[in-house]
Amino acid sequence: MTDRGTYLYAVTRAPAVTPDVAALDNGTIRLVEHRDLVAVVSGVDLADYGEQGLRTHLEDIRWLERVARGHDAVVAAVAASGPVAPFRLATVFFDDVRMRARLDECYPALLRALERVEGRMEWSVKAVVPQVGEGGDVAADSPPPQLSGADYLARKRDAKQQREAAADRGAALGDTLHQTLSSTVVASRRLPAQDVRLTGHKGTMVLNAAYLVDNEAAQAFTDLVAELRSQNPEAVVEAHGPWPPYSFATLDDP
Amino acid sequence: MTEPVASSSGSGRAPAYGGASARPEPANLADILERVLDKGVIIAGDIRVNLLDIELLTIKIRLLIVSVDKAMEMGIDWWQHDPMLTSGEQGLAEENKRLRERVEALESGD
Repeated sequence: MTDRGTYLYAVTRAPAVTPDVAALDNGTIRLVEHRDLVAVVSGVDLADYGEQGLRTHLEDIRWLERVARGHDAVVAAVAASGPVAPFRLATVFFDDVRMRARLDECYPALLRALERVEGRMEWSVKAVVPQVGEGGDVAADSPPPQLSGADYLARKRDAKQQREAAADRGAALGDTLHQTLSSTVVASRRLPAQDVRLTGHKGTMVLNAAYLVDNEAAQAFTDLVAELRSQNPEAVVEAHGPWPPYSFATLDDP
Repeated sequence: MTEPVASSSGSGRAPAYGGASARPEPANLADILERVLDKGVIIAGDIRVNLLDIELLTIKIRLLIVSVDKAMEMGIDWWQHDPMLTSGEQGLAEENKRLRERVEALESGD
């Protein structure tokens, strides 16, 4: 019989309902009450979820994907019935007693986090503008015979200025979009741009942000994003959500 | 209870609240990893693992986990230099190159 540990997905406020969702590692979701909080946990095999096991498994993208999606599914299920403070992946304790002791240490901060996100969900908005070309028809090598050296350099300089102007416009657009959206929501957090070469977008990501939106205001929020998208046809502006409030249910007060 | 709301782009998650509507399609893995690896409540469990230190075989996924800024903070900046070297090794390579150049200069009698 291998050692079992307690895997912590999220914390919510009492009273809570056990979510009907699959647990990681073929376990069973259960609730652990601690004062006014309820921890949502399941048992995991420490051979896989202990230090050595995790170090090995986290190198396997298929394992990581399965566990990340499984973790998020539990968090989302908890969010369906109350305020939730999602935990980061792989928060594992040797047993429930040790987990409750740790939760007790940050008890007031956890309560504050839950208050902050109650009745609200997180929406992600990204905006991508197309990349301005590398000076279009100017050859990288020697200038074409009909162009003088001076003309060639002038073209290169103009192309560079165009790129810089486009970058400035893109950054300004990102700022404007963020200001507009932020003014309508409870809280917002601007995130670093994702590498667009990896996300599959072509261009420059000028906005990557998370917005904390009241549930009743969600439709208005997505309508606003749609309106901003139609106002800026050169940009791809997308909202994704709702997410549980990963970016806002944090222990540090914003 | 509010009405379920789909994301305006037409893709992404279904509402996590209010009812049993199935998700239209799985969320983008990059977006999930961005959240579960780097956001949420972070407290020290009994199992210590540095999630940002994952040496995944697929470089692509590594850069999905951290932003480029954060990767550079961690010393991952191979796209700026030799793709085979970390920035620590890059520093060593540059030093070696400088020393070799210096030796050549000395040997040629400067």
